[in-house]
Amino acid sequence: MTTTATETTAARTAVVAFDQVTKAYGDVRAVDGLTLDLHPGETVALLGPNGAGKSSTLDLLLGLRPADSGTVRLFGTTPQEAIAAGRVGAMLQSGGLMEDVTVEELVRLGCDLHPRPYPVGEVLARAGIASIAGRMVNKLSGGQEQRVRFALATAGANDLIVLDEPTTGMDVTARQAFWATMREQAEQGRTVLFATHYLEEADAIADRVLVLHKGRLLADGTAAEIKAKAGARRISFELEGAIDEAALRALPFLSTLDISGRRVRIQSHNADATVHAVYGLGLYPRELEVAGLGLEQAFVAITEAEEARTA
Amino acid sequence: MNTLIRLEVTRTLRNKKFMFFSVIYPSVIYLLISGTQNDTDKIPHTDLTLQSFFMVSMASFGALTAVLMGNSERIAKEREKGWVRQLRLTALPGRGYVLAKIASAAMVTLPCIVVVFLVAASVKHVRFDLWQWFALTGVIWAGSLVFAALGVAIGYLTSGDAVRPVTMIIYFGLSILGGLWMPSATFPQWLQNVSEWLPTHAYAALGQAVEMGGAPHARDVAVLCVYFLLFAGGAAWLYRKDTLKS
Repeated sequence: MTTTATETTAARTAVVAFDQVTKAYGDVRAVDGLTLDLHPGETVALLGPNGAGKSSTLDLLLGLRPADSGTVRLFGTTPQEAIAAGRVGAMLQSGGLMEDVTVEELVRLGCDLHPRPYPVGEVLARAGIASIAGRMVNKLSGGQEQRVRFALATAGANDLIVLDEPTTGMDVTARQAFWATMREQAEQGRTVLFATHYLEEADAIADRVLVLHKGRLLADGTAAEIKAKAGARRISFELEGAIDEAALRALPFLSTLDISGRRVRIQSHNADATVHAVYGLGLYPRELEVAGLGLEQAFVAITEAEEARTA
Repeated sequence: MNTLIRLEVTRTLRNKKFMFFSVIYPSVIYLLISGTQNDTDKIPHTDLTLQSFFMVSMASFGALTAVLMGNSERIAKEREKGWVRQLRLTALPGRGYVLAKIASAAMVTLPCIVVVFLVAASVKHVRFDLWQWFALTGVIWAGSLVFAALGVAIGYLTSGDAVRPVTMIIYFGLSILGGLWMPSATFPQWLQNVSEWLPTHAYAALGQAVEMGGAPHARDVAVLCVYFLLFAGGAAWLYRKDTLKS
């Protein structure tokens, strides 16, 4: 009996609960059997390359589209109910703004529609748009529009803030200011979920990272754990004369080795140590290149690791 | 919700080009159509001059044009730009959105109606009792809300390039068949039977009843109320259901 009661409480307090959620557009499975729980106070990055299903996942989470199968619950209710109760603030890539009104008028509207609003001036200041409050919305730059969207998403005391690639179009300064504000929100106990395709952004901000690929959850862990998984680097160089493949294969931290002609390509989990060992072998590598795996390749690496594990 | 209504009204009034053409258009059409008639010919079996008949028709028609065309296109555009998606992430109920759109449309129709009346009275010497002028303004204005709701619903049913043709077909269909352009008494019987149940017919009948010195018929009022609930309810439902992506 006690166990059941505890489980029920846990289910009720989950901020977001996806259970076997699937959404397809034609033949494409944008979201494929997704199951996940977000807990109060977490800052979570939804990481994935373009087309991984991030935006679709957020659409389902916010109740903008119905799932084909499975259930989505926010605070134990439907997304629509949670939004109507003013518990969710969201900033979407595809969220347009009302035209022929000033920034302040629009933000005031956002505050007014919120059941637990903040003062308009405070919202404008926090989003860094107090200086352009009188400007018409249709005369804003991309970065400014983005900040107005942010103001709308934080117009009241939400328990969950959802952001879809929020820093797109912002310069470095704006980006830093934005994340500083977001951290404040998280420190007040809010749950923050943001989609991004920048590994660095997820690393710097999130205390939990969900890696999404082809609509499936590939990895779920701390940024450090994900980075270790995706942290492989590519080393490439040319060697003169005969190549001792066995010696190369024995290099430390090496995960893959590919030799074609003079060109040697290596993937390593610790490029510094591997390169050091190459010199240690007495070799003289020419045209040495060390590069990080792109996120796309990192995902392939994680996918392959995942498939190897389950096989 | 009141803020949204106020804001929708404000930005409609700010859109000067839209306001200007919406307000001037019905008066221009009125002058063109009534210009072919003299000032004394009467509608058969009544005391009404053709001039006063057309005045009411054109005021109704103008109001219909402004709300139907204006609403459907602007809403379809807002959906495409994603503003409606953003709005759906707020606690605003569907009826709030629809009411705000109807209210802003009503801001445009009132000057439309008044300008047609001023033109008819000054240029075409149309004369009514004072109470009739007020009653005509009131019923035509109130009746236009039905079509404002229809405009919102069309804005949700169609998108992109289809909005304008669909609106045009509905707009001309309803205007002509409902008897706004010519008295429906001139239609063959079967068409009259259809026409009787159209919202535009009931709408025109409101003004005509007042013109003849009476109160609008209960049946016409009822027909309009049913259509209003149908259009507004449909629009609110479509707003909540809308899944259009930008």
